[in-house]
Amino acid sequence: MSLLTLYRGLLYLYPSGYRREYGEEMSAVFREVEQDAADHGYAPCAAFCAREILGLLSGALREHLGGATPSWIPFRRFAMRPEFRFPRSTIFMMLALLAAVVLAIAEAESVQAKYSHATGSAWLPMVSILGYMLVVMCAAAVVWAILFALRRSGAHRLANLQAGDERSPVAACER
Amino acid sequence: MKLLPLTEPVLLVLLSLAEQPRHGYSILKDVERMSDGDIVLSTGTLYGALRRLLDQGWIERFEEKENSRDRRAYRLTSRGRRNLQLEIERMKHLIKLAALRSARQGA
Repeated sequence: MSLLTLYRGLLYLYPSGYRREYGEEMSAVFREVEQDAADHGYAPCAAFCAREILGLLSGALREHLGGATPSWIPFRRFAMRPEFRFPRSTIFMMLALLAAVVLAIAEAESVQAKYSHATGSAWLPMVSILGYMLVVMCAAAVVWAILFALRRSGAHRLANLQAGDERSPVAACER
Repeated sequence: MKLLPLTEPVLLVLLSLAEQPRHGYSILKDVERMSDGDIVLSTGTLYGALRRLLDQGWIERFEEKENSRDRRAYRLTSRGRRNLQLEIERMKHLIKLAALRSARQGA
């Protein structure tokens, strides 16, 4: 597999709009830089590959996060979007997970009290707690996935249109 | 909205475009040259920065005819040039301040 094929494959990590807009241009530039690196021997070529792969991974992450980049990613200070709106579905997911942890702790305490004088297997309470946590977390993940899918499908925009939005459909979709 | 200070790579991208319009490969090479090889941008990093600069209207893109093929090139807009100038002024002020402080300490 050539480096360019790998590069084009990694471009699929980017949002589709970004890929359509810049994918071909990035590939063309990559081809030129790859030729330069190949002319300079093995070490520059290896450094080039590592740099490009890391650049693509961090770039794709940054594009998916919409500008809210972690501190270890370059260009953090140039995140020029006025604010990053945390997705509501993610907030719900985090709250659900927090609730799961709190409930699991409460359950653990009750199980511990129940089994404190028992002589049975020590693994039984642990399995019970882990199972309980797993079920709650799976339920939270499913709800989050549904909310995320609805959000990505644009169903909320359709609902806004049907609710009698006076603006043009194009304007409503651009929000 | 606080845009400044810029990171060094973004500053170098803007400086590269301040001189003349350039396409992606030319920007990469110019940034490397300006930083004496200290900053070598990957294509992912470069195009992430270019996309944000385009979104904010600091640069614009146009088709450039080169060797009988169309190629996308970038140039600074008046807003980009103004903001670059602001950043340069900010850095000048910082250097002046640093010189004053270090001179006071030496006295």
